[in-house]
Amino acid sequence: MKNSKVTVALLALAVAGAAAAQPAQNTLGSSSSTVAPQQQRQQAEAGPAPVNAAGRVVLQGADPSDKGTWTPVFGILDPITPYEEIPFQPWSKALYDYRQTRELEPHTRCKASGTARQFLTPYGVEFVELPELGQIIIFDIGGPHTFRIIYMDGREHPSDWQNTYYGHSVGRWEGNTLVVDSVGFTEQFWLDRRGMPHTDQLHTIEHFTRKDKNTIEYRITLDDPGAYTKTFDGGFNLRWNQGEELFEYVCQQANYAIELMVGGGASSVDRSSTIVP
Amino acid sequence: MQKLKLKSTIGLVVLATVLSSGVEHVSAQPAIVAKFDPSSEMSISGIVTHVDWKNPRAHVFVNVTDGNAVTNWAVELESPVLLRGNGWGESSVKPGDRVEVKGLRARNGSRQIWSESMVLAGKPVFTLKDLKPAIPARSEPAPRGTDGKVILGSASGYWGFPSEHALVEDGVNVQMDRYGQLAEIADAAKVAPLQPWALALYTQRQQRSLQDDPMFINCKPPGGPRQYQSDLGIKFVEDKVNQRMFILMGSGNRNYRIVYMDGRDKVGSVTGDDDNPLYYGRSLGKWEGDTLVVVTTGFNEDFWMTNGGLPHTSKLELTERFTRPDMNTLQYQVAITDTGAYTRPWNASWSMQWVADQEVPIFFCQDNRP
Repeated sequence: MKNSKVTVALLALAVAGAAAAQPAQNTLGSSSSTVAPQQQRQQAEAGPAPVNAAGRVVLQGADPSDKGTWTPVFGILDPITPYEEIPFQPWSKALYDYRQTRELEPHTRCKASGTARQFLTPYGVEFVELPELGQIIIFDIGGPHTFRIIYMDGREHPSDWQNTYYGHSVGRWEGNTLVVDSVGFTEQFWLDRRGMPHTDQLHTIEHFTRKDKNTIEYRITLDDPGAYTKTFDGGFNLRWNQGEELFEYVCQQANYAIELMVGGGASSVDRSSTIVP
Repeated sequence: MQKLKLKSTIGLVVLATVLSSGVEHVSAQPAIVAKFDPSSEMSISGIVTHVDWKNPRAHVFVNVTDGNAVTNWAVELESPVLLRGNGWGESSVKPGDRVEVKGLRARNGSRQIWSESMVLAGKPVFTLKDLKPAIPARSEPAPRGTDGKVILGSASGYWGFPSEHALVEDGVNVQMDRYGQLAEIADAAKVAPLQPWALALYTQRQQRSLQDDPMFINCKPPGGPRQYQSDLGIKFVEDKVNQRMFILMGSGNRNYRIVYMDGRDKVGSVTGDDDNPLYYGRSLGKWEGDTLVVVTTGFNEDFWMTNGGLPHTSKLELTERFTRPDMNTLQYQVAITDTGAYTRPWNASWSMQWVADQEVPIFFCQDNRP
């Protein structure tokens, strides 16, 4: 390859790479506005939200042949709440500002990331209703490629819960809106792609409202007296990707910064703070 | 010189018992012998400074005084998921407690000790040697749905505590610990009908005490039969409407995989990855009477398919059979064909226990401490 053409070729490669199969997820990676991996996403057919036999809106397809996944309609540089409206405490504002330059968020190191962050991936999620189990399970495609259980059986949050990335979620339907209440989060992740901080006091209420066939309106109420001066809201829309299915994505496959994921050796792991810088 | 004070007359004297050879518990974590030297038994005593109650392994930090010098040691325990099942809690040992610890020293000479169980003065012995479900097994037939079909999963319960933790060909008898580390490396050729290159690779992995395990080094997934040989287990979730069987992992990275039950073809049928080779392969399943039969192909080679590191190639094809003869037993049988690594097809089988009234454990390899 001639040197004079290298820059152009590399640029072309980078652009192509953003649309190629399974690009590495990072804060500068593909946003929802770029071409979906490997294929054009089908042009969305307008229509009403599908409903079940009881007439209640469902978050899946109208029938098993109607497959799809949900990805965010969102610019990756956007906070889920306008910056000037976020009721930071001084320490959480300082940490948020610090994270703008040190863009080393846990999600890119394969850590599961709860709340809004779970829905802010290029590959999306699927909501699977399992009435026989009394659960809805949200399956991630990208990121940690894991599952989040929402208990729909009327139970309460347990008293002996060990904090974890997705917390403990209980849900119910209010009309056509799925309302999910969650507590019990660890602090080892960022709430959104811009790095809103939180503590383990975080309590969230999420509303998923499918407005029509192609749109879920997602709102999240964040209640964290450890990090914010008052409760506040954020949100964005999810878009239905007709015909798409869950597929395998393993974050660890090409995650070469091993020391960032696993802590860099026995003697260098700093266990003194749970707040992720 | 610092004076050490006994915190109180009720202060705990904690003893860690010496590690028994060959009795280990598999999580997504390295073989003990990969990190700790079985021939290096030692003792320390001192004051607990910190308890790090985190996956993948909990640690108790101890300040040890030697003359004028105080050094801090890390005592490594099992995963909190497994410790809790054995009655250990985050407060079982607290900062300020005086402890005596016996264990194995880390191979790299760092101030780390592996401890498997602890004896508390006046309190019961906690040991990880006899892990079993917290609720005793009830003798009951397997549950069935309204369609008469056996139910493999349910709202509250999962499959764990496999009867064997390492994969060996049916009918072969070799001594192996729960991480798949052979007692006699010369037995490697007996474990499975390995081709010469694969036997050499397997032998090398064994000789290096399994420290090259990609699940240990960088949390690569437990693809293949390995996911059924962790105490942390798996859970079946049958999505009958969409004709999918999800398998949720208690070990590894808390991934899920999908067994397609809708009669689709194998190649290129899942949008997004076409025929890319996968960690979990591509699985098609169907019921044959009360047996779930799953055929999986399309594996990549970037993981170890068993505890102990039996090799495989992208030609690997697994046919798995799952039955639930009674409430508490999942019978698992796998037929392994890999013309790239083995000289013929071969089988292995074992069982898992139903862990009632508990959700599949929440464990993420990438929580990670080394």
